[in-house]
Amino acid sequence: MIEREVMIKNKAGLHTRPAAALVKIASRYQSDFFIEKDGFEINGKSIIGVMTLAAERGSTLRLIFEGPDENDAAIDICKLFDEGFGEP
Amino acid sequence: MELFTFHRVQVMGNTEVNYLRSLPAEQRIPSFPRLFEFDIPCIIMTAGNTLEPELLAIATEHGVPVFTTKYETTKAVYFVGDFLDDQFSPKTIIHGAFVDVYGIGVLFVGRSGIGKSEIALDLIERGHRLVADDVVMVIRKGESILMGSGSSLVKHFMEVRGLGLIDIRSIFGVRSVRFQKRVEVVVQLEEWDDTIEYTRTGLDTSETEILGVSVPHIRLPIFPGKNVTVISEVIALNHLLKHYGHDSALEFSRRLQTMLEQKADADDKSDPMIDWLEHDFE
Repeated sequence: MIEREVMIKNKAGLHTRPAAALVKIASRYQSDFFIEKDGFEINGKSIIGVMTLAAERGSTLRLIFEGPDENDAAIDICKLFDEGFGEP
Repeated sequence: MELFTFHRVQVMGNTEVNYLRSLPAEQRIPSFPRLFEFDIPCIIMTAGNTLEPELLAIATEHGVPVFTTKYETTKAVYFVGDFLDDQFSPKTIIHGAFVDVYGIGVLFVGRSGIGKSEIALDLIERGHRLVADDVVMVIRKGESILMGSGSSLVKHFMEVRGLGLIDIRSIFGVRSVRFQKRVEVVVQLEEWDDTIEYTRTGLDTSETEILGVSVPHIRLPIFPGKNVTVISEVIALNHLLKHYGHDSALEFSRRLQTMLEQKADADDKSDPMIDWLEHDFE
């Protein structure tokens, strides 16, 4: 199991487009992927789940990866957060 | 003073207010700040009572909020208790689809992409009601009741692979949704696995635990072409029957037993007359 803490960097927050991008990447991996915010954990492969977080700019999320390809999944997904989903 | 449960909401009704009023001002005002030596969360004045401006100023100074309500103490305590119970009850989020099927709260769980949403959609199409999809908030009420609802943001929205996000309430109307429902059966969807022995009689029931509450748990193997919707309806109806004291599996088993006992008796007790009358001549 891998745990990472990430921050939302883009101005608009984790809105529909980045949520879709996140779910798309997460679904490529076999590993389970969960996101925790404010004590609630949701499935990172579910777009509804990710959108429920309503993560605004500056909020921190805990990412949990578990499975055979957890390393690759963690690298790929953390990169997405670090780049602010390619948004300002 | 040692027994003062200061961490609780302090309620001041007619009795407390009358007591305060009965004290002379020179005693009342200096004694009031002693209340705030304790870290009390708030004060609620019931039955329309209010704090005197001097006392209110003391409370404000200590950063303790004071509320007033027109409700009598009994009613106010009941409302506050119910509200706090709701706010502080154990909560969890479950990844699944939650549907009211014939009045039974059926929670579908299973891995991402197995088809939980599609089953929910099919059930809605057949007139059942969606509570939540993908993100199901479950709270425990009291000791044994689990209440499931959707989150405020994605209420009654659903993601269907290949379609995207759809709004169930707008498409199917208000009769296709409900806001909360007691979780009564958990149905675990999984791919058919030859190595697993699925129950054949239904006599051996299993349970799962959510927030420390036991819920009937059914492992449902699926494969393409299997009509899971109808099976789900039967699961709900069977649960309903059990609730009314009729266990299908047990009933069948009992019948078999009676028949075997009759056969074991040398003298067959079945009445040929009854058999003849029950016979269908069509």
